[in-house]
Amino acid sequence: MLTRITGGEIVDPVNGRIGQGDLWIEDETIVAAPVDGRADRTIDASGCVVMAGAIDIHSHIGGGNVNTARLLLPEHHAAHAPRPANTPLSNAGWSTFETGCLYAKMGFTTVVEPAMSPGSALHTHLELADIPIIDKATLAILGNDDFLLSMIRDNASPQMIEDYVAWTVGSSRALGVKVINAGAAAAFKENVRTFSFDDVVPFYGVSSRRIVKTLQAAVTSLGVPHPLHVHCNNLGASGAAETAAETIAAAEGVPMHLAHLQFYSYGTEGKRKFSSEAARLAELVNSTPEITIDIGQVMFGQTVTISSDVLRQFSARGSANPKKTVIFDGDGNGGGVVPYRYGKDFYGSLQWAIGLELFLLINDPWRVFFTTDHPNGAPFTAYPDLFALLMSRDARKEAAAGVSQKALSFSTLGSIEREYTFEEIAIMTRAAPAKLLGLKDRGHLGAGALADVAVYRKGEDIAQMFRSAAFVFKNGDLVVRNGEIENYRWGKALRLNPPPDKAMVRRLDAYHQERYGLSLDWFDFPDSAIQREQPFGEVSCNT
Amino acid sequence: MTVAWIGDRDVPITQAIERIAELLVSSLCPVFSLDTDVHGTRAAIALAERVGAAYDRLGGDGVARETALLTDRGGFFVAPGEARRRADVIVIAGQLPAAHHALVTEIAATPPDLAGEAPKPRQVFLVGAETQAAYLRKAKTMRLACAGADLNGTLAALRAQCAGRAVTKPVSDFARFAQAMAEARFAVFLFCGEMLDAPGLEMLQGLIGDLNRKSRASALHLPASEAGWGSSLASTWMTGFPLRTGFGRGQPEFDPWRYDVSRMIEEGEADLHLCIAASGDQIASSRKNLPLVAITPTDRPIAGAAVTLAAGQPGVSHDAVVYSSRVGTLVSKTAERRADDLPDAASLLRSIARQLPGGKALPC
Repeated sequence: MLTRITGGEIVDPVNGRIGQGDLWIEDETIVAAPVDGRADRTIDASGCVVMAGAIDIHSHIGGGNVNTARLLLPEHHAAHAPRPANTPLSNAGWSTFETGCLYAKMGFTTVVEPAMSPGSALHTHLELADIPIIDKATLAILGNDDFLLSMIRDNASPQMIEDYVAWTVGSSRALGVKVINAGAAAAFKENVRTFSFDDVVPFYGVSSRRIVKTLQAAVTSLGVPHPLHVHCNNLGASGAAETAAETIAAAEGVPMHLAHLQFYSYGTEGKRKFSSEAARLAELVNSTPEITIDIGQVMFGQTVTISSDVLRQFSARGSANPKKTVIFDGDGNGGGVVPYRYGKDFYGSLQWAIGLELFLLINDPWRVFFTTDHPNGAPFTAYPDLFALLMSRDARKEAAAGVSQKALSFSTLGSIEREYTFEEIAIMTRAAPAKLLGLKDRGHLGAGALADVAVYRKGEDIAQMFRSAAFVFKNGDLVVRNGEIENYRWGKALRLNPPPDKAMVRRLDAYHQERYGLSLDWFDFPDSAIQREQPFGEVSCNT
Repeated sequence: MTVAWIGDRDVPITQAIERIAELLVSSLCPVFSLDTDVHGTRAAIALAERVGAAYDRLGGDGVARETALLTDRGGFFVAPGEARRRADVIVIAGQLPAAHHALVTEIAATPPDLAGEAPKPRQVFLVGAETQAAYLRKAKTMRLACAGADLNGTLAALRAQCAGRAVTKPVSDFARFAQAMAEARFAVFLFCGEMLDAPGLEMLQGLIGDLNRKSRASALHLPASEAGWGSSLASTWMTGFPLRTGFGRGQPEFDPWRYDVSRMIEEGEADLHLCIAASGDQIASSRKNLPLVAITPTDRPIAGAAVTLAAGQPGVSHDAVVYSSRVGTLVSKTAERRADDLPDAASLLRSIARQLPGGKALPC
């Protein structure tokens, strides 16, 4: 079927196409305008902006810890039924089925779950397979698991570590690798309560820095397109900016992605010992080209923090609102669930301002990524309001007037005039994520690209424009019309498939037999276990 | 081979499926009891949404108590692999179902390899006078009990004594327990909602929370039903809610009292009972005049059932995804034999959905 999207303002930075024009789709693919110009279907996009489907690189949408959070907070789900606005989590949308629909309505067509425990990969992929419409992907967590820590302690060869990383990525059907507070979960099991970049994991004698560097080298050498995704130590701590700076310095010219930098951009000034270091870290990112970051923007209201940083979540138990938490010592990282309400008090206001400072002070939209670390900073349904804050200084000023002015005095936000353009939004939420993840078939509107297209009706209300897309195409299917789901379909989980090294498989089998009394089969699964047609889509490693 | 019956009469499967669809359409308050794998659960929940049914675990009180621990309180939990490799002290809080005995025996008999350079043999404590662990034949166990107190009372006294508070009836061998806790690198408490009620679960987690102020401890959840816990997980991601959820008003609503299917049947609220069971023996005779649809491995009609469909057994006659306490997550189970060629429950439920008005396929 040939579809013509006509009269819209095309914003496609990758192909240098900015301005009014037509876009043609044939079946699943974007094509050049046909010679005869006859379409089977014409979509009138006049008055609209036409972009590639958006890609979210870091959103906790499925898996063991996410499901535990759902289980912990059924009262917040009840609030999700149609009710007056501003009830807790009223916009969170939290079943797998709602997640896909809500993302699609906003023009998002690919979303990455960034924290999959390899041992729970089947559970995670079953959840992802029940998220409709969009494509998904996962990052496999390594860096607190006994097998890797033992290999580092025993000075295993880089090749052996690469074989292990490759097997983990392949068997868990992941698109990349994430390290979360490297070594801290293992240290917490030994009753360690704080853990920094050069601290050493008891029993193994390896530092967090060494774990990160080891994984960074393995990921790079294997040609995993996405650089090592690093959740630094000391998340949320006053003075964590120093940890983030140390980690950035440790990249040493090799690509590295730092997750939710907002949660580290905290200094120690003022009587509360809590201040903004966003300007300093933004400058550091600007001057360190191998570094990419996402923000983890805080927006006000009720949410729940879900993290595989079990040590941090244990420390945060006292701030739980409501007062119930789960702390899970898992194989490797485990995790914690701590519900939290971001208020417009000093701390919440400053966190909100810090995220915006980072967005606006990091110059290169190819290296800063649009996230709230859903749901940790805010549910992803807050994205439209965040787009408005980035694209309108008036919207920022209006919002800033309602928060703690004392907090803002510790931030540079009030002095920043920058407004994101549509082109910068298209880079930050489409082109750059596709490049960062190695997804060559999306993130742009050139001929041959997958027909993932979002069409937004322009208007004064930027948030409304992004909340409710006029049209969204996924693989050429018209899935959203006027902000409502038009067509239900099932996406794929995008994965790498590096061939496993046979010697490593034997070694792992022996390890699991000896240490867990179970064969390696217990930790793997066939694709057919997902019970969806073609549940996975394969992405190539770099050569 | 006969695979479908209306009453006691053999019928073609299509006819039985049409009859089930008719029953569902005419029912005002259908209820589903689930004892099936994850995919059977997914299909059942999708069907429940279509017909406005409530669903629960078949005999789901134990799973409901475990669910309530999470929905009401949360707690500390540990993966079974970590318990096996790290726990230098094991505390068994109440009787554990026989299904878990082999795993616990194995853990007790295996020296922890992540418990320090020179780990000592694990110490095993049994909480409560009624807690039996004859299956731990080779392990040396020590009992912690309060004279005249039940399991909850013993747990309460244990927690109070650990916190340095006075108790009227002290726990036997508390000094040994206190010393073990003081020396433990990682203590693991084993529990199950089948034998431990809500106050007991709460008290156990309170004790573990107290211990974590200065040292490390956690709880290994050994579910009352592995299939039930797998169903609960699937329900939670599909609807946002665990089992005991109903679609009576269109959207999913979770209410562990209101959608307790046993209660709905006993009190006459339900007017149709659809039961998916791994064994026909588990299907109790329904309330008089309550139509029963039974989907279960069987070669004969279930007594009292309006319609019976023979289904395969998850992981035995067809591949399945099930919860496993050995790894603490969902695992893929390959069929042991495929000779009987019976359809899985999920396929049957999808077929039923296609016979409903509109004939729309289920989303899973």
